[in-house]
This record gives sequence, C-alpha cells and structure tokens, in this order.
Amino acid sequence: MKLTRRQLLKNGLLLGSSIPFSMSAAWAGQTGSTEVPQHGQINLYGTADSTTELGLGLRQKGWAPRYEGRLDPLMLSALPGGTLAAGFTDEAGLVLLTSLLVGRGRILALGRHTGGVHHLMSQRGPLVEPLAVEAGSWQAALGREYARLALTSTTGRHAQQFHRPTETPLNTSELSFLVRL
Amino acid sequence: MSTAPRILPKGVAEADFDTALGRFREILDADSVLTESDQLAPYTKIMMAGDDADYIPSGALLPTTAEQVQEIARTCNEFKVPIWTISTGKNLGYGSAAPGETGQVILDLHRMNRIINVNPDVCTALIEPGVTYQQLYDYIQEKGYKLWLDPPAPSAIAGPVGNTLDRGVGYTPYGEHFMFQCGMEVVLANGEMVRTGMGGIENSSSWQVFKWGYGPYIDGLFTQSNYGIVTKMGLWLMPEPPAYRPFLIQYQDPEDIEEIVEVLRPLRISQIIPNAVVIVHTLWDAGTHVVRKDYYDGTDSIPREAIERIKRDEGIGEWNVYAALYGTPEQIEVNWNIVEQAFSKSGKAKIMYGEEAEKRGGGFEYRSALMKGDMNLQEFGLYNWRGGGGSMWFAPVSQAKGSETKDQTALAQQILGKYGFDYVAEYIVGWRDMHHVIDLLYNRQDPDETQRAYDCFAELIDEFAKRGYGLYRTNTEFMEQVAGTFGEPLRNVHTALKNALDPNGILSPGKSGIRQ
Repeated sequence: MKLTRRQLLKNGLLLGSSIPFSMSAAWAGQTGSTEVPQHGQINLYGTADSTTELGLGLRQKGWAPRYEGRLDPLMLSALPGGTLAAGFTDEAGLVLLTSLLVGRGRILALGRHTGGVHHLMSQRGPLVEPLAVEAGSWQAALGREYARLALTSTTGRHAQQFHRPTETPLNTSELSFLVRL
Repeated sequence: MSTAPRILPKGVAEADFDTALGRFREILDADSVLTESDQLAPYTKIMMAGDDADYIPSGALLPTTAEQVQEIARTCNEFKVPIWTISTGKNLGYGSAAPGETGQVILDLHRMNRIINVNPDVCTALIEPGVTYQQLYDYIQEKGYKLWLDPPAPSAIAGPVGNTLDRGVGYTPYGEHFMFQCGMEVVLANGEMVRTGMGGIENSSSWQVFKWGYGPYIDGLFTQSNYGIVTKMGLWLMPEPPAYRPFLIQYQDPEDIEEIVEVLRPLRISQIIPNAVVIVHTLWDAGTHVVRKDYYDGTDSIPREAIERIKRDEGIGEWNVYAALYGTPEQIEVNWNIVEQAFSKSGKAKIMYGEEAEKRGGGFEYRSALMKGDMNLQEFGLYNWRGGGGSMWFAPVSQAKGSETKDQTALAQQILGKYGFDYVAEYIVGWRDMHHVIDLLYNRQDPDETQRAYDCFAELIDEFAKRGYGLYRTNTEFMEQVAGTFGEPLRNVHTALKNALDPNGILSPGKSGIRQ
C-alpha cells in the first residue's frame, strides 16, 4: 500500500498519534521489531513506501519511529529542541528544511537517491558500507545507517557515493534527511 | 569518499581564531557560537552553480542585541576575522545563508527578532533583522491593526529587513521595498553605532516617518553593501483599503508581451494600477505546481509543443498578468472600467476577476494573496520543476517599454536555449521599470549541467550588459562579474567608501563585488 497523504486522511491515520496500519504491519513482521526501542523516538516523514522501509531500518536498530506524514518543514519549529527527524522529501521540501535549520538545528545527514546511485553527506563522520551490500531494500539499509549516525558523537563532514542495483525507475529521485532540532 | 579538514577564516592563524572564538563566547554564550559541522551544515546549502567547497563558514555567531553586535565587530577588527551578515538567511537563490566565501564567520541575526514598535496611526514599524514577515503579520493581526505587509513570494520565513537591504520587491503598491524603508540603526565596522535619518535626534518621534534627516542621505549605503550591520530598520506599512480587486489578464501569443507592457505602463505611472504587477510566463505559472518531466524528459530546453500542452492542460496563458485595484468600491469600479477598456482594444486579452479567474489554472489564488500582503510558500514549487537543487535568479532591469521587454525576452530565450535551459520567468512592473526575473533551474547534481548553468549565467550577464541592461541583484557567485558591468568609476567609489568605513575589511568581504 502506498502511503499517500490522501489515503492516510481517508483512513483517519494522519499525523502523529498512531502509525498507519500498513506501516505497523510491515514493521511488526520484521526481525527485531518486537524489541523495546532502546534509543527513543525519531519523527518520520514522507508519503511513499520508502518511508516505511526507512522506518523499518531505524526500528531494527532500536529507535522508535513516529510517523508524521508528509514533511511540512514549517511545523518543525513547533517541535522541542533535540527532536530527531528523518524521512524523505522533494527539492522544495529540502530547500525549506535546510533553510529553516539555519541557526536552529543540526543536519546529521542528507541523501540523494537516483536510479541506484546514492549520494550521502554525513556531518557525523564516515559512512559505512552496508547501504551498498546489505540484503533487503536500500531504504531499510539507509534507515539502519541513519540509526547509527543518530547515535554517534563523531563530527566532521563526510561525503560518499554508493552504487546499488536500482529497484526504482532510473529517473526517480528521492531525497532523504536526518536532522536534529 | 571525502572528509573535510577544519575551516579557518582566510589569513587568520588557528590560534588567533581560537582566541577570537573564546572572546565571542564571552560576548554571547557558548550556545550562540556555532562551530560544529552539523550545526554549520544548514549554512552551506547553496543553489548557485558554484563549488560547495567555496561556501563553507568557519563558524556562526547568533547575537540577540545590538550591543553584542558592537562587541563582535570590535573583536573581528582585532583579529581580522571576516564576518558575513545574514538576517533570517532566506536569500534563496541569491546565496541563501551561506557565506560569500569559505572561512568567513556567519553573523546570523535571526535571534534579534524584536518588533519594537508598530504605529497604526502613521502606519509604520520599527523592527530588528530577525523579524520574519509571518511574525510581523501575526503581531499586526493580534493587535487588530488594519495594516498590510508587502512580502516577497517565498515570504513567511523571510524578513523585511534582509529583503529590503537586498532591495527586494513585493507585489502590493508598496512593492519597491527600499522606497518604503524609513530610518536605520547601523553598527559600523569599528563597533560604533549610528542612526540614520531623524534617528540621530534624541527622542525623535519622526524617525520612522521622515526619511531624509539632515545632510547627506546615507541609508542607501547600507543596502546591497558591506559598510555596516543594520540592527534596526523602520518601514512603512500600507493601510488596509476598504476594497480590493485582484485580477488576471491572459494573453496567448509569445509576441503579446510588447502590447501588454505598452498598455500597462500608463496605467502604472498614473497609479490607476498601483501595485507591483507581474507578467508571468507559462513555465513560471505552471512550474509552481507542475513537474517538467510530466511534459518533457529531455535535457535540452522544453520545446514549444510541450509549452502549448501545458497551456492547454493548465488553462494558463503564454503571459499571465496579475494585478489589483485598491480603494473604495466606487474607486475600484471607475478604475476597473479604465483597465478593461485599455486591455480590450486589441481583442487579444482575456480579462478576469473573481470566480472566473479562480477557475482558471495558474497562480491566481496565491498571487491574489500576495498582492494583499498575505503569505504563502507556493513558489517553492519551482524547485521541483526540473529537480536537482540548482536555482539562480537572473534579474536584469529594463524600462517599462514593450520594445525593451521583447528584446530582453528574445535574448534570454536565445541564451538559455543555447545551454539547454528553460525560460522560467516573470516581469515585475514597477512605476517606470521592469524587473525581469528569470529562474535558471538546473540539476546541480550533474557536474556538466552545473558547468553549463554557470556558463549560461555568465553569458547572460555579459550579453545583457552589452545591450545596456544591468542586474538589480545577483547571487554571491556572480557578484564580482555583475559589479564589473557597472564600470570602474562606480567601483572605485565603492572601494573608497569601504576603505573609509571598514579599513580591515571585516564586513561581508565581496558583497556586491566590494572589497578593500
């Protein structure tokens, strides 16, 4: 099931208080998902299947993703300082997100994912390889990597490009982010 | 794979920089001096066709008072630390919140966000640089004042001070922002503070109502410049009119731009149409909510056939004029008849307002909001048109004459076409001038396309200058080149002023091409 905003509204599942059934089902069916989250909450944004998978990866590494629907960067300013947020957005959303974080938050990592090529930029030190080689979806692998970066105290800009056989059309581009308010 | 080393200000030794940072932490507090890469990362997001590595700050300072700004300026002078000042950091497409060059320390004034005064009688405001349009709007609503703002298009998050100081424009009758600015408080490079206009008179009640003060008028020196740090600014607010009628006029032929401007000019100069009218091309009007690849997937310029399909599908014209009338209902009826008669003569225009205009495609709803000072973020949609995160505003000025508009449109389309880019453009019609605003959108992830965008922008600047057209504003990557088109005598004056006011060159070096 594609998690469009319209579908979520129709099912009364939009924003915050509960995750969509399809998402919770996807997460519950995976190894490790029954464990109690160890690291706390990450707000999760996006409207496509990629978001489900990203949340899965975060959950597998001990985070509790809280699904918040489509990213509205303006709403981020209402969240408490220290809130972690991850997800997918479009070009306009990324411009707005980064500009709203100026002097107000931290960008831990950004990703640009186009036709099997993944450009990742971390401000938390070097990235590790699993995105390129792990089984399962790249979005879940990205979630596991973002889960690790959310915990590390290393700082420093680091950019890396991964190649992975495409699972999406070549002209499809997705933009991911991991930020702390 | 790459990992970046520590960034230092140009010409400053690491030990000196560390000492300066320590001093900044004494002036501010530790949380207001940012040096970690994840804190600085938001300041590095650029959309220009420049190298990311050229726009990385070495730190960011977030003062809350003008007195702190004074102390910061003194410290920067002592250690020769260059600072790049931003207000809210939303100069998107012109350099955003990034420094003018790598190593500069960002002086981020967004926490200086006090609304010091809004006077509903004389319709003025006095605010600090961090005040956003949304914040001022909310304040006015809360107080119940019948006053309108004049926000630019991506407006809620931007602020009046930053936009005015970069000589930005909006869409109400107060659209030329610097024209409606009145009085400044400025911290100079040596840490001294000066108030312009009537602000030098202690307890003056006319600081925000009389622009000129006494002696040379100097407010303009602090716009698009690096001669001081504006810490307060006055502006005039428009009283809410009793009635308001936004309207839309569509023309379908590319050649019609000449007629539109010829009809508009006398209406604008005589203030029959008092607001900053926009004449929006198809691709801008559609680009705020349509994605290019739905119509064309090539990497060259979008072809005429696809533009015609967009016009049909979206119900928009080749040129879409958004304008408004203001006043009493009786005044609006009189002026509407004049407007209708003027635009009806050739039989080419489709003139609409109210429900008819709302039903047409394009941007009537958000344009109507902007022309009455309400805010929205609709134009962020342009970043999705081509994708890839590249955007540069090319903004030459012309006379409000049909022949010049036709000439500029043809020249822009020819150069953009040569490099494979789309003409995503609008004209903003001033009293006598036109701001021809073109968003050069490109895929910044593709090095070849980014190089083409760079070359294209550079050629646009040169070719327009050859025909007598200069830019009213540009992004940090091209400030030097644009400054060059205005000639050496003017640059020499700018440099002389810089040397006099900022002999150590610590304030925003390179802004508008101005250095020591």
